[in-house]
Amino acid sequence: MLAINSVNTYRIPQKFEYYKPRDLREALELLNSIEDAKIVAGGTDLVVDLKYRRVVPKALIDVSELSELRFIRTDGNYIEIGSAVTMQELVESEIVKKSLPLLAEVVESIGSWQIRNLATIGGNICNASPAADSVPPLLTYDAELELASLNGPRTVSIEKFFTGPKKTVLERGEILRSIKIPLSQQKFGWSYVKIGRTSFDLAKVSVAVLLRAEDGIVSEVRIALGSVAPTPVRARTTEKSITGMSLERAAVRASELIVSEIAPIDDVRSTAWYRSRVAKILVRDAIWKAYERFLQVGDKNEDQV
Amino acid sequence: MVFEFIGKSLPRHDGFAKASGLIEFTFDIEIPGMLYGRILKSPYAFARVGRIDSSLAEAMGAVVLTPEDVPNVLFNPRLVSIEEDTFKDWRILTKSPRYVGEPIAAVAAASEDLAQRALEALRVEFEEVYEPLLDPFKAMSPSARPIHDRVQRGRQWIEVRNNVAAELKYSEGDLETEEKKSSVIVERKFHASRRYHAQLEPKGAVCKLEADGSLIVWTTTQTIHNTKILISQVYGIPMNKIEVKKIPIGGGFGSSIHTNLVTLIAVGLCLKSRKPVKLVLTREEDMVHDHTSYEFYMKVRAGATREGIITFGELENIVDIGAHQIQAYPLLGASLGWFVSLYKWKALRYHGKAVYTNKVPSCAIRGYGAPEITWAVETVIDEIAEELRIDPLDFRLINYRGKGEIFWGQGPTVRSIIRSDGVPELTSKCSELIGWKNRGNPKEKTGRYRRGIGVGRGFHTSGAGGPLSGAVIDYTGAIIKVNEDGTIDYITALQDHGGGTLDAHAKIIAEELKIPPSKIRIVWSSSSTTVYDVCTHASRGVFAGGEAARRAASEVKKKILEYAARILDAVSPEALRVQYDKELNDAVIFVEGAPEKRISLSEVARVAWQRNWGSISASVSYRATVAPPSFTVYFVEVEVDTETGIIKPVRVVAGADIGTVISPELAAGQIHGGFAIGWSWAVGDEVVYLEDGVPAHRLSLSDYKLPTIMDLPDDESFKVVFASTYEPYGPFGAKGLGEAASNPVIAAVANAIYNAIGIRFYEIPITPEKVLKALKGGD
Ligand SMILES: Cc1cc2nc3c(=O)[nH]c(=O)nc-3n(C[C@H](O)[C@H](O)[C@H](O)COP(=O)(O)OP(=O)(O)OC[C@H]3O[C@@H](n4cnc5c(N)ncnc54)[C@H](O)[C@@H]3O)c2cc1C
Repeated sequence: MLAINSVNTYRIPQKFEYYKPRDLREALELLNSIEDAKIVAGGTDLVVDLKYRRVVPKALIDVSELSELRFIRTDGNYIEIGSAVTMQELVESEIVKKSLPLLAEVVESIGSWQIRNLATIGGNICNASPAADSVPPLLTYDAELELASLNGPRTVSIEKFFTGPKKTVLERGEILRSIKIPLSQQKFGWSYVKIGRTSFDLAKVSVAVLLRAEDGIVSEVRIALGSVAPTPVRARTTEKSITGMSLERAAVRASELIVSEIAPIDDVRSTAWYRSRVAKILVRDAIWKAYERFLQVGDKNEDQV
Repeated sequence: MVFEFIGKSLPRHDGFAKASGLIEFTFDIEIPGMLYGRILKSPYAFARVGRIDSSLAEAMGAVVLTPEDVPNVLFNPRLVSIEEDTFKDWRILTKSPRYVGEPIAAVAAASEDLAQRALEALRVEFEEVYEPLLDPFKAMSPSARPIHDRVQRGRQWIEVRNNVAAELKYSEGDLETEEKKSSVIVERKFHASRRYHAQLEPKGAVCKLEADGSLIVWTTTQTIHNTKILISQVYGIPMNKIEVKKIPIGGGFGSSIHTNLVTLIAVGLCLKSRKPVKLVLTREEDMVHDHTSYEFYMKVRAGATREGIITFGELENIVDIGAHQIQAYPLLGASLGWFVSLYKWKALRYHGKAVYTNKVPSCAIRGYGAPEITWAVETVIDEIAEELRIDPLDFRLINYRGKGEIFWGQGPTVRSIIRSDGVPELTSKCSELIGWKNRGNPKEKTGRYRRGIGVGRGFHTSGAGGPLSGAVIDYTGAIIKVNEDGTIDYITALQDHGGGTLDAHAKIIAEELKIPPSKIRIVWSSSSTTVYDVCTHASRGVFAGGEAARRAASEVKKKILEYAARILDAVSPEALRVQYDKELNDAVIFVEGAPEKRISLSEVARVAWQRNWGSISASVSYRATVAPPSFTVYFVEVEVDTETGIIKPVRVVAGADIGTVISPELAAGQIHGGFAIGWSWAVGDEVVYLEDGVPAHRLSLSDYKLPTIMDLPDDESFKVVFASTYEPYGPFGAKGLGEAASNPVIAAVANAIYNAIGIRFYEIPITPEKVLKALKGGD
């Protein structure tokens, strides 16, 4: 009857059906035939929602063990990651370590070992939290999302995927199959700066940067931020204006411009005032850190993004 | 003094069981036929309930408990004050909920799922919903709605005026004269927010009726005897028909210092259903709807002469206690006690008020007011020293209350003389280690990252004992039984919260008897098989409980020597010596100079049994006649990022005067834990309420953040120094530690922040948001 009495149990206080399909096809068929079905992968976001009755699905379709969603591979042009790959598998992947050092660094900081062994990258994306840690790096990588449905696949750029907190362009019957990251011939310096209330927290503000420079001049830069808008954002305007600037000027200018690209709010973790104030600083820090990395990496990683 | 076992690092008796998960907590108990309970919590902070319709729930097979089903008596869940000073304003279930989450009804059913569905099937009519009073100052205004009209003090009814639950005034000396003598006077206001205890185990209880009608209870509690007494008082059951079993608890930090409401509700469900019942709060219920710390609004005014002698001190202490009293009145006294005992005020004035608000009831949290009072006083002391241009350490050493002075253990009626004092030693050693002299002046610090060093000095009492009986109950007991093979059963009501208190007792007994601690079993006893102990609180576990254990061991030793004298044919027990024999791993009793006259303790036990001499045992009830302070001096170095406001702890040097150190590693662990909790109070999270009285942190520990090991200094940067003191009244010279370990932390951190950036904060937690605002102004 009353909200506080309908949650907070040791059990999940609601009934639903549970399916464990054998392959992606069966998963899609189930998803198509059951109204109000929800995909579950690691469940680290979904089970919390179920306990608080924020979602009330008729059925759960468990994709966590579908081999079609559990791979990391590369063909020289792309690295492709199946949506049900866990964070810990990404941490331990040689391909990720070698070619996607930014993503490698980020996933290692997510949750705890226990959480990383359950949490999937697909879940992190599809949960569509503005604080999802894997998303700012994927935004800077210009990642593409491969969606599967009975009507056939489609590809959506990650920048177009989110429409609001907990909202995406996923349509009924669609599953995120994989994430494709184009490999660049150029090497980038990278950085991810995140602040939370403790070291085990969702971000108050996070910034991911990929950067190349020539003779102290920014030749290419990509900036994405988390927890400062209804969705994670790519700071295109800032990127454009600081390209061609000296690092010193670029860092200062980015710090000025970034406020116009974000729309932070007050919540339990922080305040809008603090978030914009600190986003300015973190963008500057992240640019410098990425530049330092750029100078360090040299020509070691040929096929690194 | 040279010890055989004390001061050695030995494995904990429950270490393996805890690390492996084998140990059983209340939650783990399963009894055939047991029902599972759930509580119907008020969604409103201030309301009146009309009809409760339980027909649907009962039709589902659930047992429903409503206010009509439980005794209509007022009580206070905390039994620590004498009856005349106990304020009673609680009911087991209420029709007048005064905070969000207050229990209105409860259900029990054969499964958790069924219980939950039955709970949701209860229909409750709310006749009135009032606007909640969340601010203590608004609650005190004469036009505010009374949260309680009248409550009971002991057996007397008293009117509550302006929502003031309790009040205490005190003064000493001639304040006006002392003020005139002062060349510096500093006055500051402080606000310490509400914090959650975050003990590892959420509260719970399991109850069962025996065939003879007695009630068996397992529950998260720091006191099995007070739980027994309260159940008896509330339900009118004779005390010999209630057996509260001691079971491991996952920490307390004060949260189970009283008898938890869950326990009383579980008893009600068990009595009504006549079946075993388990009722365990979820983490969310525990933190959002069960308890928080007190919230303090303090005003400190103090002065000193040009020479650096403190003249007077004034403390105004308004405490927001939430909707019910747990120990509000004793808190006002304890706060005064901490204040009085910090410095040698020549004159002092105190005014404490405990105020009702429509929030979750507050209970003691580690330190019972001392961390907050110490923070306020140590800030003002630093400021006075700065104005006088005296080194804050020297200023403290001149003015603190040390050896030979009177110490107020827990308020005006708990006084004794300080006999051991490690403050000078700790101050000099620790200041050296941290590099106090090089801490620099905040005005000269520049750059984005600024470091600062701060000091906080404080103490905690070791129990609430004293030469006179006073208003606080404090005594304990121990039973020791020597088995027929010379092993020992140690039976005590005293609870171990996880700090290793009972391991310390085992070492004390071992030392007295010269047998290895591994021969001593700490029995999981009950209120029926032990003698009274008030509670594991007030850092008294080792000091009071350990001394009771030592005394019981000493009595047992006397009997062993008598028997040994008979066996060895010695003229009297006085002719015998006892020592630990490594090879035998036992105590041996011998006549000096006669090597053949030698017998092991286990052989004495065996012979006593075989010859029908009777059991070797002792039962002791013990009241400590003093409550000595354990002093702690913290030096903390922090680093402030002036661009983000983030504060990081860089180094800690913690000095502790706990007399003889019984378990060095566990004691150091208490200090590390004490710092962690203090750090979280200083810069971490707080419990915030929305306008309707709903706590803003609704999502449990994912929204209320506690520092992790990654947020704290590593071992290299955290030094613990123990003073070389000996407390004449403690067991083998020992004093308490648990609360002293955290009391000065907020003060040290706040003073360090000031030393880094030159800004003082008078409100905790000091969040990055507040730091940045203070540094940059709120643009
Ligand atoms: C203690 C704790 C700590 C955490 N720390 C962090 C942190 O530091 N950083 C961070 O970013 N997150 C953190 N999280 C959040 C969470 O772990 C991550 O977002 C995680 O990646 C979610 O993945 P999952 O597999 O568990 O998703 P699930 O909970 O299984 O699913 C999440 C959502 O995505 C949908 N979904 C999942 N897979 C697919 C798919 N293939 N196609 C379509 N929809 C899909 C589900 O229907 C659901 O709506 C934490 C969570 C917890 C409990």
